[in-house]
Amino acid sequence: MSAGRLAFDAFALVAVVFAGLMVAGKDPIKSVLALVVSFFALAATYVMVLSPFIAGLQVIVYAGAILVLFLFVIMLLNVGREKPDGSRRPIQTVLGSLSVAVFATLLLGMLRGSGARLPPQAEAVGPEQLPDPAAIARLLFSDYLLHFEAVSVLLLAALVGAFVLARREEAP
Amino acid sequence: MSLVDWVILLLRVLLPALIMPVFVIPLTWLERRGAAFIQDRPGPNRVGPLGLGQAIADMIKMFTKEAVMPASADRLLFLLAPAVAVFAALSTFAIVPYASTIEVGGRTIPIIGADLSIGILYLFAITSLSVYAIVLAGWASNDKFALMGGIRSSAQIISYELAMTTAAAGVVLAASSFRLPDIIAMQQGTWLGIIPRWNVFPQLLGFIVFFIAAFAETNRLPFDLPEAEPELVAGYHTEYSAMRFGAFQMAEYVNVMVASAVTTTLYFGGWSIPGFHPHGVVGAILSLLIFGAKTFLFVGVFIWVRWTLPRFRYDQLMKIGWKALLPLALLNLLWIAALSAWRLSR
Repeated sequence: MSAGRLAFDAFALVAVVFAGLMVAGKDPIKSVLALVVSFFALAATYVMVLSPFIAGLQVIVYAGAILVLFLFVIMLLNVGREKPDGSRRPIQTVLGSLSVAVFATLLLGMLRGSGARLPPQAEAVGPEQLPDPAAIARLLFSDYLLHFEAVSVLLLAALVGAFVLARREEAP
Repeated sequence: MSLVDWVILLLRVLLPALIMPVFVIPLTWLERRGAAFIQDRPGPNRVGPLGLGQAIADMIKMFTKEAVMPASADRLLFLLAPAVAVFAALSTFAIVPYASTIEVGGRTIPIIGADLSIGILYLFAITSLSVYAIVLAGWASNDKFALMGGIRSSAQIISYELAMTTAAAGVVLAASSFRLPDIIAMQQGTWLGIIPRWNVFPQLLGFIVFFIAAFAETNRLPFDLPEAEPELVAGYHTEYSAMRFGAFQMAEYVNVMVASAVTTTLYFGGWSIPGFHPHGVVGAILSLLIFGAKTFLFVGVFIWVRWTLPRFRYDQLMKIGWKALLPLALLNLLWIAALSAWRLSR
């Protein structure tokens, strides 16, 4: 196994483990922080498969903006630790793990079946030969122009929606 | 790769991270003397010539003081926060080219930590990490003033990062590249033989927005709401003492230097001046001095502004970020887009 593949696997493992910690954590702040680590590890795996642009966006948008907003809201509302309310039954744990196992098997089978392989690794090239983001820009503004514009309209709709919801009603 | 190549690579990677903390020491002295000059008092002038030894004395004090941790603090996160702050600050300089490329013995050595294809995006990604340092410090301290500082910081940085990235997008658009070496390359030469082709001239608006947002991003006055002393004791680092507090201070000064260096690179041609074509090692050293002088100028402005302007109120801070800086940054982007389109159509 090459060093690049090893690094990819290590980062992937970190991403999965911290995603698990995010779900299992009782403290909302620590859950968000676990997710931050997971997102950074995910960004590192993107770099390892020669997609530095996606890695940069992943960190800027998710870790840098969305999760900071999560933290802001959790801290502002002062959400405390989750308290066990005694409604959890042992059967839930069994059923939960069973469904995870079934889902993981299905996912793995589908990936194998469709012949999915890891994209080319970054191990052969130095950090300065990583692909140019211009290639993505060219694709976005030629083949996928309609999709790109559609998404921007969607975001605009969300923006207008948020504005309408957040606006205070004027007193009559 | 031969041994020499490895050594060069190691130096290229380590130098940007190691050189910054060294400059922090004289910078703290400069800040205090600058403050004293503006406030018409002598400032620290007892330790060594001109009081220069004061910075070193302060450092020794930081390292030898007792580091106190509140009993109710979250141990891991409390210790992690200053480390994250320093790590984020030191890794940002990696993508800034600080001198011209050297060609020695058949080797081409770019004087930059890592010439990434995503360039400026890397900077914004790492900057987002430094928010967590402040938010973590505020939350882990288990102190209401620290928490308030952390909350303010998260809201402030999201608001100003938007304006900052939009302003920087104008430069990226003009250079059609994220790489800082490309951005320097496009600023070579002059207009009409006298005006340098620096981005600051066509993008004056973008520069102003970027530089103001840089004050907010580095938590410097007039935007140091996360640590506003009159209201929050010392904000997010209230509970920190000794070198853990020193780590936050160091991160702040490194951030100020990096913000100045990036402003220099994006809007003032980086290490280049018109009519200067550096060759070899001597050229690289000269370009390094030019880069240093330009950066130093902006560091000076940071200090000057800190001791000149009063702090904004929190609602004013938000109003400036969303209702003034962001629209101005968008206007700048539209203008640059129009300019680029006009250039392409010719």
